[in-house]
Amino acid sequence: MQGTQDVDQTTGAGDGDGLDPREAARLLAHTEREAQRQFNLSPVWITVLMGAVLFVAYGALWLSTRGQHPYSGPRLGVVGLVYAAVAVAIAASVKVYRRATAGVSGPSVRRQQVEGVAILVSFVLGSPVLQGAMKHYHASDAIVYGVIPAAAPLIIVGTTVLGIAASKGDRAQFGAALVVVIAGVVAAFVGPSGAWLAAGIGLFIAMAGYAAADGRQRRRASLRA
Amino acid sequence: MTADSLDPVIHAPARLRIVATLAALPDGASLSFTRLQDMLDLTPGNLITHLRKLEDAGYLESETTGNGRASRTSIALTGHGRAALDTYTDALRDLLGGL
Repeated sequence: MQGTQDVDQTTGAGDGDGLDPREAARLLAHTEREAQRQFNLSPVWITVLMGAVLFVAYGALWLSTRGQHPYSGPRLGVVGLVYAAVAVAIAASVKVYRRATAGVSGPSVRRQQVEGVAILVSFVLGSPVLQGAMKHYHASDAIVYGVIPAAAPLIIVGTTVLGIAASKGDRAQFGAALVVVIAGVVAAFVGPSGAWLAAGIGLFIAMAGYAAADGRQRRRASLRA
Repeated sequence: MTADSLDPVIHAPARLRIVATLAALPDGASLSFTRLQDMLDLTPGNLITHLRKLEDAGYLESETTGNGRASRTSIALTGHGRAALDTYTDALRDLLGGL
């Protein structure tokens, strides 16, 4: 233990004499809820907010490219908005992760870090590599700047998360990742503009669904305790 | 069943909160002394006293790394401690069901 000792270490150090069982049950439930809230890596509000932000960003991409013949891609300002939205989502995730894992150590934290790197690598490398290859083989702008950047990240990152969720037996995460992959597959076949809309809707449904399922799982665990 | 049947090591407000907080960590994880102190809002002396009682009962294990100001103490619930909390929770539930 720490080397320092407080002078008041005996006051309040004792004991359950007089602790009413009902009060103990209330204290136990409250402490569990508070601890779970503080250690939670994906609070409901931030998951839903991120889903909404991504939906708005992808919706803006759809509006920006709707009716283009031939397809020329979204306006630069809209692309900037999407990058800003993704940056905000990543920054918010990092902040929540840091707060939740402050002072926590052990195999679970190391595992979460490796999972984070796997997701980041699949996100950063997946789509640009495919876009580069398509451009190299003279695919149309509709493919290179429409279908691939909308659909590929969802399929690649979604599949990565699917594997992570399967290895942990996390049903809520697995379901959300499956929705993302399906949205990616749909996006691949609805045209370059529709792909953005399909991706945005899929991401929002996945994140809102995950928030609801995860919240339900935590409430059940809390009620069992 | 009466309140006397509740594990006296856990059945104290501060120790109940310590054990419940550590039980919320993922399996195998430990928590730093300073984060635990922040979460429970206890003085270092109080926290140390309660941690010793829990450690003496085999419910917790602590590990200190580094020296002096750079030292860091991590605390984790043992399997025995997790089982004791489960037993305590069951006993509490039975008790309240009977009240």
